[in-house]
Amino acid sequence: MFAAFVQSSIIRLIPVGMVILAIQRALFIEHTVLDVKLQLVLAFVAACGVVGGSERGAVAGFSLGTLFDLIEGTPVGSTTIPMLVAGVVAGSLALITADPQWWLSAIFVALGAATGEAMMPVVRLFIGEESPWPRDTATVVFIVAISSAALSPLFVPIARWCLKLRRAEWVAPAETVG
Amino acid sequence: MAIYSVGRRRIVIVLLLTSVLLLTLDLRGSAVLDRVRDVAAVSMTPVETAVDVVTSPVERAWESYTNYDELERENEALRERLARIEGSQAAAEAAIIDAQRIRELNELPSLAGIPTAVAEVVGASANNLDQIVEINKGSLAGVRVGQPVVNQAGLVGRVTQVFPTSAQVMLVIDRRFTIAVEILGGTGAAADPFAPVDTTLSGLTPDELNDAVNPTAAEPGPVITNPLDVLGGNDLPQSPLSPAVTTTTPSGEPVETAPPTTVPRPEDLPPAIPANGAPVQSRTGDATTTTSIPFEISSIEKEFGALKGDGQGKLPKVSLLQDNPSLSILQEGDLVATAGGSGSLAPPDIPVGRVVNRIDRPGVGGPVLEVELFADLEQLGFLRVVLFQPAEEAG
Repeated sequence: MFAAFVQSSIIRLIPVGMVILAIQRALFIEHTVLDVKLQLVLAFVAACGVVGGSERGAVAGFSLGTLFDLIEGTPVGSTTIPMLVAGVVAGSLALITADPQWWLSAIFVALGAATGEAMMPVVRLFIGEESPWPRDTATVVFIVAISSAALSPLFVPIARWCLKLRRAEWVAPAETVG
Repeated sequence: MAIYSVGRRRIVIVLLLTSVLLLTLDLRGSAVLDRVRDVAAVSMTPVETAVDVVTSPVERAWESYTNYDELERENEALRERLARIEGSQAAAEAAIIDAQRIRELNELPSLAGIPTAVAEVVGASANNLDQIVEINKGSLAGVRVGQPVVNQAGLVGRVTQVFPTSAQVMLVIDRRFTIAVEILGGTGAAADPFAPVDTTLSGLTPDELNDAVNPTAAEPGPVITNPLDVLGGNDLPQSPLSPAVTTTTPSGEPVETAPPTTVPRPEDLPPAIPANGAPVQSRTGDATTTTSIPFEISSIEKEFGALKGDGQGKLPKVSLLQDNPSLSILQEGDLVATAGGSGSLAPPDIPVGRVVNRIDRPGVGGPVLEVELFADLEQLGFLRVVLFQPAEEAG
């Protein structure tokens, strides 16, 4: 069991997620874009989904969402669920192509991050918070999506390393003899 | 290969259900999750410290590049404002002391008797929903859940979560924040402080600028005596401008004076502001300062309501009001302070803000007042936690 844990992707995912969360907390709380805090962790989860598919995206979303809730002091699960959904949505890229172009990855990272950000007030609503919608939900979702897409060229390779995946390599078919 | 096989879908569903389970457990209060949260916070500390070491120089370089001009302008404006405030400070302190004595004579609760803990803001919520900041004082410093948090300007928020060496403070603008307040009806009647005026670069009117440069020519202006000045003394870190203040004498010579560090003795102070609001003249050295309050104190009527945050970028609102025209009509400019009460988590008379908009509603609901806070929540550095214990708990 221990060997399985050490060999799993979690062993890389959690420390990298902690560093990304620390960067988000250090830099992007004060430096906002149109009063919107950029969501690095959410973008990274979406990148994991794009790289590894829905299943791994869900695992990344669950792990990093729980970490986010534990550190931020928000109810555990209130960020986990949106991040999990973000990973699953971004992972649906695998339905289209096995080896996506960078811009296609960016689009799906944006799509996953936008879904996750839009889900956050919905989950808060379900746990009994009164009108949890931010000032301008559409702007918040749009900026988070665009920033996530911009970060995808950086996050996709990191996610690939964390999930221990290699880029698909096309090999020429072996020549048939005779 | 089936991309969406049953096995894969099952994993997603199991994780989703686990999240819901965790959410339910945490909302019901789980000691295990609290312990895990503490461990996570401790594990995160070295990572955050390391990231801070790396990002701080970059951040400072960027800020010094982008904000230099703005800081210059702000510094100039603050110097002008400081010089102007110096003139009315003595009268304000006298008024505070008088109010204290009257309260003591009548055995009324006073802010001065409540201890405070000074704390520094060390973080803020990283999501776009919560309006929460983290401070570096916790249960070891006597901080408890529910205690009000203030800065020099007024109410900032309330403690919502406490750890041994840190605590989370929900800001007044958070949608979940509610507190009982009193509106001093009639305080906004005399002057409209929000009427459009010609201002200079510093944000001051030409007259105010003139007053700042030449205190002897000061026109009568409103004095806001801040009860927070006596709350815990002058224990907040002082501005770098504080060590020495340069004022100008009537002859035009600059004079450098040390700022007052303690509240002066009553006999050294000018007479307090009379109840009828008549102007008071006070002399500080060669400079004469005339101060007055812009309303009749006898005409002030208190009205009580509930202040509720409305999210980032929106003004908090006071509702549950019963507007009674026979007493006083609530209007723009009225002052808002905490109401206190036996069950309240905050003591009375902490300044909150000023009414900037009145929204009348049909029916018996009463008006809703939008309040502009005295505290600038965008610029929070050092805060004070009022270590207040409600009367009900104190017994």
